[in-house]
Formats: sequence, structure tokens, C-alpha cells
Amino acid sequence: MIKIHLDPRTKLFMIFAVSFIVMVNAVSPMEWAVRIIVTLIPVFLLANEGRYVSALRFLLCYGAALLLLRFYISAESTGVISALLVGYCGIVAQFMPAMIMAWYVIHTTKIGEFMSAMQKMHIPDGISVSLAVVMRFFPTIKEEYLSINDAMKMRGISFAGGRITKMIEYRLVPLMFSCLNIGEELSAAAVTRGLGAPVRRTSPVQLRFKAADWLMIVVFAASMILFVISKYFR
Amino acid sequence: MNDNKLKVKDFITIGIFTALIFVVEFACGMLGFIHPYIVASYVVLIPLVGSIPMMLFYTKVEKFGMLTIMSILIAIIMFVTGMGWLGAPLIIAAGLIADLIAKKGGYKSFKSTALSHGVFCLWICANYFPVIVTAKDYRKSLLDGGYSAEYCDALFRAINGKTIAILLALCFIFGVIGAFVGKAVVKKHFEKAGIV
Amino acid sequence: MIEIKNVNFRYKGTDEGGLHDLSLTINDGETVLLCGSSGCGKTTIGRLINGLIPHYYKGELTGSVTVNGRDIAKTELYDLAGVVGTVFQNPRSQFFAIDTDGEITFGAENIGMPPEAIISRKNDTANEMHIERLLDRSIFELSGGEKQIIACASVSVLSPDIMVLDEPSSNLDSSAIMKLKAILADWKSHGKTIIIAEHRLYFLRELADRMLLLDNGRITKELCADEIKALTFADTEQMGIRPLSLTDIGYSHESKSTQNERLTLENFVFTYKDGKHGINIPELELPTRSIIAIIGHNGAGKSTLARNICGLEKKCKGVMKLGDKTLKAKDRLRSCYMIMQDVNHQLFTESVRDEVMLSITDKQMTDTDKLQKSTEILTQLDLSAYSDTHPMALSGGQKQRTAIASGIASSKPIIIFDEPTSGLDLAHMKQVAGEILKLRDMGKTIFIVTHDMEFILSCCDHIVRLEEGRVVGNTTLNQDNAASLRQFFVSEI
Repeated sequence: MIKIHLDPRTKLFMIFAVSFIVMVNAVSPMEWAVRIIVTLIPVFLLANEGRYVSALRFLLCYGAALLLLRFYISAESTGVISALLVGYCGIVAQFMPAMIMAWYVIHTTKIGEFMSAMQKMHIPDGISVSLAVVMRFFPTIKEEYLSINDAMKMRGISFAGGRITKMIEYRLVPLMFSCLNIGEELSAAAVTRGLGAPVRRTSPVQLRFKAADWLMIVVFAASMILFVISKYFR
Repeated sequence: MNDNKLKVKDFITIGIFTALIFVVEFACGMLGFIHPYIVASYVVLIPLVGSIPMMLFYTKVEKFGMLTIMSILIAIIMFVTGMGWLGAPLIIAAGLIADLIAKKGGYKSFKSTALSHGVFCLWICANYFPVIVTAKDYRKSLLDGGYSAEYCDALFRAINGKTIAILLALCFIFGVIGAFVGKAVVKKHFEKAGIV
Repeated sequence: MIEIKNVNFRYKGTDEGGLHDLSLTINDGETVLLCGSSGCGKTTIGRLINGLIPHYYKGELTGSVTVNGRDIAKTELYDLAGVVGTVFQNPRSQFFAIDTDGEITFGAENIGMPPEAIISRKNDTANEMHIERLLDRSIFELSGGEKQIIACASVSVLSPDIMVLDEPSSNLDSSAIMKLKAILADWKSHGKTIIIAEHRLYFLRELADRMLLLDNGRITKELCADEIKALTFADTEQMGIRPLSLTDIGYSHESKSTQNERLTLENFVFTYKDGKHGINIPELELPTRSIIAIIGHNGAGKSTLARNICGLEKKCKGVMKLGDKTLKAKDRLRSCYMIMQDVNHQLFTESVRDEVMLSITDKQMTDTDKLQKSTEILTQLDLSAYSDTHPMALSGGQKQRTAIASGIASSKPIIIFDEPTSGLDLAHMKQVAGEILKLRDMGKTIFIVTHDMEFILSCCDHIVRLEEGRVVGNTTLNQDNAASLRQFFVSEI
């Protein structure tokens, strides 16, 4: 299968479109059709990237939610459990398309590409540097936290005798100290490699819209338009 | 020497603290899976717990733009993670105003910082926008589908177009209270350790 | 050429690490080794050269620093990026990107190099350093040594003539250090000037053209290449620095051979989720009240074993038989105390005393008793002066002592150390060895994961050697097998 590689800007547009489509509730069959197509596309793209497990998981999850809604919604909503179940299914069906799209974008876009895209969209370098740091710190925070958690287990203070404030303090404070230290070293290493130079940052990545990009843009734009027409001009 | 312009170190610091705020949000978000009502309590949890890194953040950069840029990052990240873009105007406006309030106090006065944090915390309500916008429609469709009115009410009682004002107010109030909490922790640990 | 003239520097807020009337000239192509105890100023000199002082680290600076004709005080850091490249101590914190390619090209992107040039510089650097297999990977997956190599590549990309390295080997094991040595040799052969501040000196014996010993901000000794090679173990001991050759280290410590109770690990099998790393130990019998070193190459499973002994991995079904007790993972958590590699992760309170008291969990003790016990322990470890200091305000060695104090306070019988001497100078290494001997005299059983041979020879009783998750050696340390131990470490060089 040919690997489809989309420009990050296209992906951002796709998220925008999906977010828009899920905002309004789908009632008519056409709206549902658009919804489903728009959900299946990222699932397909995930599979295309080789991420079969996630693609399958999302498909099953969304499928289950849809089916439950379809065949359950007419039943009497007796009992807390069935009410809760349908409630959750409703939320899942509502927000899953956006979630799947987001998952796809995050896991298939390199931070360098993303920064390039932001620059092309005229977002100042400072903001894209900050964003890169946010992305870089998420895994770091996870690593640091796991280690701190080990220390708490080892010292027997994971539940701090039941005091919630202490539980939060023991987790957050060492984490913050860690982040500060790492941040200090990170900054020194960054400025000695020229970060902050009064020039526009460049990138080895060269972004260009290709056929696949235009196709996606058209499909999603069309979906949005169809939705609007169906909703407001029925 | 332009000391008020954001430099590389500041952008990195902003990035780090934005990551920390999101970690707090995710951690609180996990609790929301237990019960939808807990989702409404984000307005209490996040300002209080998040105040700890935020109060430290206030001492680290002390330049105009620190909160505005953080709020822009929050808006971008929320958009990219599929939580919608409706909240963006709220988030960025809150960040900008918070920045202005803090600036008035020279980023050092506690009163300004507390107010600033209160305003900044309004970003938390952006979490609810997707639910609120769809709620009206969804409620109608549930009713059409034959659901009892009381079920719908229970589900959306906590979060809907009417209560959003209360939620916003709560964000602000707990943001200010949080400032006291965060400041105490910062004093106890970070000032004592000489980091501040 | 680098000229440092009459520099006095004091960091804002502290007397440590400053420099007093320091003058130094470094010629092009020289490899200069800066050594001395912690706080002597060797890192500070590197910062004068790469411009972090005065542009990043604030303090009082007098005197002048000129690098290739530029006055550092007047040159912006971003203009120095192509002149001086810096590799820092901690592989985990100096990288900016998430992927290796992005990290290597980071510097080039910052200065606005055209895209085609960036790609070609990246490929050239990867070829020169033979790291093609490290390209296009997540940095978080790499080992410490691999991360450090990427850091070197990352500064190489801008082709600076001067390289400053600040204790780059601190967190590396011997094979990673050898790779670092190869990179330095390569840079040297290309005529680069190298300034390297280090504690572990043995890998630089052939490379250093000059060695400067610093003490309290002054140069106290200067040695040329021949003199460096002629240094004996006695010389380096006297200078207060680590040995320059591993084969010189003598073994004089006699382990006590008492009839101690035995401790047996049974069925210690554990694999990480990725399926690649883990341990597989059907049975391991060890003496209690001893100091047991766990050694092995990178990836052999040392830390994994340590974590499992401590009971941190719930999935491991192995048990520890101690006397008549059988300890499962949950029980081991209550019997073991670990001094982690990053001590910062286990400090939770706002004063050293509180930190120690946090470990006193005996509900039978009154508060006065607890206070007294903590005072005793603090005195034992020379921390009384710091009892009200915030742990995070302490130096690395003091933090470690605080963690040890907490360990003693916990009254747990087994104490585990994970790489306790990485980044420590000779004096501190000996101090830690002394503290560990005291712990043994208290009756504790001590496990130490380490690749510091000198440290092992100065305090360990017993050696367990791991290879690919299995035990390949389990011996008491004495004169006879000290030689084979040396062989193990030296064989990697």
C-alpha cells in the first residue's frame, strides 16, 4: 500500500473540520453518513501508517457506541446502568471522531514538521519553540513521575496516611524541582547551539501540498458544507 | 539590555510550565471518568492543584507575554487534541487579561498575581464548551428518542448553557483561592530551597 | 586560541565554583584536561569559554576572556555557536528534540542554515561518527551512551573549532566511555581544540596534551603529556583525583568472612514490556550483612535486578528467602530501602530533619523519641548543621547522605544503591564508601549497582556479575579474584 503522507497544515484543517462537524448533532441519515465517513478516514489513515491496533480499537469502540445508540435509544431508559451506558455511548459517539483524528495527527506528525508548518502559517518562532518544549517535556514528565512514584512506594508514603494534600505535595513538588533542573540544563544546551539567534529558524523539512493533501482538503471542506446545508437549509 | 523582552530561556520555561499544567489537567481528567459530575468539579480541582506550578511560574519569568503565550499554547494543544476550537477565544482572552493584571503589579505584587491567576483559570471552562454546545441539541434528540426528561436533566444539570456563568465564576474564585495555596507551597519549598 | 587573563569570578549567591585570578592560554588543537575536586572551578572555566558566563550564569566577573580574537563578554551566545560547541554532563536533559534527526540538526536550524545544507551536514556528521543506525529514532529509546553520542553529533554539525565538555562521562558505563573516547580522538585528529572537565580520567590518558589540576578556583598543578602518562596511582591519590589507569588500583580491603545468615533469591524472572530487557535468575544465594556489588555491561539487567530485589516490580513472582522468612515483592518493599541514581526523586520534605523523620514509621515511638533518633542519625552522617536546610538546597553529596540517613531511619535491613558514585570526585567517593562500610557494621545487607571499579575495590565484599539477565558470577571478593574483576573492567577498554 502506498504510504499517504499529509502536510501538517492539511491535518490541522482536518481536525478543524471534524471539530466543526461534531459540534452539531447529527440527526438525519445524511448527517450520520458524513459523520461516519469523516470518522473512517482517520481510521483508514492510521491503518495506512501501519498502526493497525489503534485503528482496530477505535473502529470497534466507535462501532459499538453507534450500535448501542441506534438500538438502545428507543428503549425505556429505566435503571441507572442503562442510562449511564447510553450517556457514555452518546458522549463517545459525539467526540470520538475528533479524538481519532487528533490521535492520528499527533502520532504521525514529527515535531519538526509541525514547527515548520507553524512557521509557514506565520506563527512567531518563540511560540513554536515553546510548543516544541511542551511536546518534549510530556515523556520526560512521565519518566520523572514514574521514578518519583517508585520512591514513594519504596518509602511507603504513596497514600501519605490518607492526607490528600500531602499526596499531592509529595507528587508535584519533586516533579517541579526535577523539571526546573532539567529546564535549566536544557536551556543552557539550547543557547550554546544558537537558539535565540535573530534569524528565522530553518528546517530540513520542506513542506508542500501534494495530491493527497488537496483530496483531503476537498473531502473535508465538502463534508462541512454538506453538514451546514443539511442543518440549516433543510 | 532589554530585560522585558521574552528571551529563549523564558520561552523554554513557558513550555515547561504549560506541560505541567496539562499534566494536572490530565490527572484531574482521569477522575472525570469515574462520574460525570466530577467533570464539573474541574473548576475546583484544577485551579487549586494547578496553582502550585502556576505560582512558581509567576516567579520565574516576570515578563509580559508569559501568560498570553501560555494561553495560546493551551488553545493550540486543546485544538490539536480534538477538544475543539470554540474555547480558543476564551482561553486567549483570559490569558491576555491575566497578563495585563499581573503586569500592573509588576509581576511581584501578590494581590495582582492572585487576581491574575483567577482570571487565567477561566481557560478551564473551555473544556466544557464542546459539551455545552452539543448539549442543547443532544438533549432534544434524547427527548425525541423517548428518554425521560428527568434523565436528561440529571445528565446535563451540571453542565449547560445556564450554569456556564456559575462555572466561570467558580473558576475565578478557586483560582484566587488557589493562588494562596500555591503561594504557600512555593514559599515552603522553592523559596526555602533558594530557587525563587 | 583561547586566552583567559586574570579572571575572577563569583557566582551570584554562592562561593562555590568561583575562580581567583585565573590566567590560562590554550593553543589551537590542544586537548586540555581540567580536573580537581567538586567545586574547584573546572566547570566554570568551560563556561567562560563557551560564553555561558557571563551571558547565562550571572555573577561578578573581572578579567578578560578572548576566544579566537573575540571578547566573550561582548559576543552574543548565538554568534559563538559555530565557534565553541558544548557537551554537557547529563544525557537526559541536554536534548531539545524528540527524535535523533531533529536533535542533530537543531543547531543548524537555529542559525538559519539553508535546508539542503542542513541535510548534507547531518549526513556528513552521521557518516563521520558512524551513527547511521541511530538516525530516525526516538531519543527516549536510546541508552545514556547513545544519547551522549547524539549530543556530540549535534554540536559537530555546526563545525566549531573548539569543543568544551563538562564531565561528559559521568553517567556512562565503560563501553559508552570508549565510544566517547573515539569521538574525542576523531575530533582531535581534525585539529579541534578540546577542553574537558572530568573526574574519571583513565580514558583521557592518551588524549590529553595538558592536564590542569584546580583547587578552589586556582590552578595548582600543570602537567604535560609525558608527565600525565607517567603518573602513578600514588601520585593521583596525592593529587586527590581519580586514577589514570585502572590496572594500578590496588586491593587492600579485607572483607569480613563471618558465618552470616544466607539470603536466597528464587525465581527472579522479569521482562519489560518491550520484551527485550529483563532478568532470569532461577536461584542466587548471597551472604547477609555484606556489601554486594552488582556488575555487568550496559543492558545486562543490573538495575532491573535491583528494582526487583526492592520489590518495585509487582509482576515479578520471585521470592527472597531470608532466614525463615519468605518475602514476596510486597514484603520486600517494606524491607528494602533504595538510594536512587537520581536522589532528587526521593526527597519530599522541606528540611533534612523532616526527611529523616519521614522514614521513622514506628508507631510505638513518641514524637520526642523520633526527634532524638533523627538527631542521632544526622550526627552520624555529619548532617547536623543542615538539619533545617531544604534538601533541594544541598549539594549532590549532601543529598545522597540525606537519603542514606533516611534509609537508616527506616530501620530496613536491606539497602540498595543505584550507581552511587557517578559524577563524584575521589574524596566524595571515599566518603560514600566509608558510609556504606558503616551501614554494614550496623548489620545491614547492602546491594550496590555500579561500574566504578575503584569504588568496588574500596568497600565491597561480594560480587555478582550479570550478563543478559543471567548470573554469570557470584563470588566473594578477595585478593585472588580481584584480578579477574580488574580484567572485567579493563577488557572493555
